[in-house]
Amino acid sequence: MEIKVNTGILSANEQKAVENRSLFEKDRVFTINIMGSPGSGKTTVLEKTIDILTGTVRLAVIEGDIYTSKDARRIEKHGVPVEQINTGGACHLDAKMVSGVLNKFDLTGLDLMIIENVGNLVCPVEFDLGEDLKIAVLSITEGDDKPMKYPLLFRESGAVILNKMDILEFTDVDLQALRQDIYIINPDIKIFEVSARTGQGIDQWADWLTDRVNNKLKEKTAK
Amino acid sequence: MHEMALMAGVFDIIRENTEDLPEKNVTRVTLVVGEMTNAVPEALEAAFEVYAKGTPVEGAELVIKNVPLMAKCRGCGWEGKTEKHVFMCPGCSSLGMEVVSGRELYVESLEVDGDGD
Repeated sequence: MEIKVNTGILSANEQKAVENRSLFEKDRVFTINIMGSPGSGKTTVLEKTIDILTGTVRLAVIEGDIYTSKDARRIEKHGVPVEQINTGGACHLDAKMVSGVLNKFDLTGLDLMIIENVGNLVCPVEFDLGEDLKIAVLSITEGDDKPMKYPLLFRESGAVILNKMDILEFTDVDLQALRQDIYIINPDIKIFEVSARTGQGIDQWADWLTDRVNNKLKEKTAK
Repeated sequence: MHEMALMAGVFDIIRENTEDLPEKNVTRVTLVVGEMTNAVPEALEAAFEVYAKGTPVEGAELVIKNVPLMAKCRGCGWEGKTEKHVFMCPGCSSLGMEVVSGRELYVESLEVDGDGD
């Protein structure tokens, strides 16, 4: 006997993501999901971003990591609320894991929630966490072929941060070709060229992010 | 390797659809997997074996129906298969193409032992 099913494999995750999204929406907390390879500089970009936003944007961080809390400890030093999720081997965060830590935050007192996903270019993209925007971090030392090799992340992201631009001259990366490939996959994406180490370009990224946070806050005051 | 997590979802769906049935033996599971998902068929197959072991699904055939990535140009309306995720319209060279198919990821059907009622 055949049973027609037609149920999405990710439907349970999507349901949970809808719940998370409605919690964020209720308090108008703009939420981003940062993804990229291990070592691309996600945490360092985040640290620099926090330093710029502190005082203007009330933010909190959820750190995804397979086993350690090293990244959360780094973020803690910047004086913002942070919760660690250890996936215990899983290569991505899912909406249920995020839901499990949301009650540890006072969402009413937040403007921005930053979720740093597990370092991985492939798996995290498939799991909606309830975020407003996906953000890709790609360090130029990874090579200019990465967008075409891992297109889904770039297709689904609202912005890509090209990190480690300070050492561009020591690489064989063709920056124009890299930018072109990213736009072919996603013409609406915003590209930021930064160096989290030197701070170059971080301002532009932080301004752009602040604009998005403020747009969401306007909805809050309009209500 | 998030295919293990995906397969956990598949087995939840199998359970929900078969737990009230007299026929407990699942003989075939059919999935629909779009080209523009990050699910690798071989990894899904390996994960299927792991989850099926010792359950009524053990020994069942896993059928994976692939759906090609098709896109439509917002500019000139060209629609067709998109090779290698190059979202540049072959008709008018503009960027800005919408995905028509290729993001599917669902359990289409199950085959269970017995004729039912």
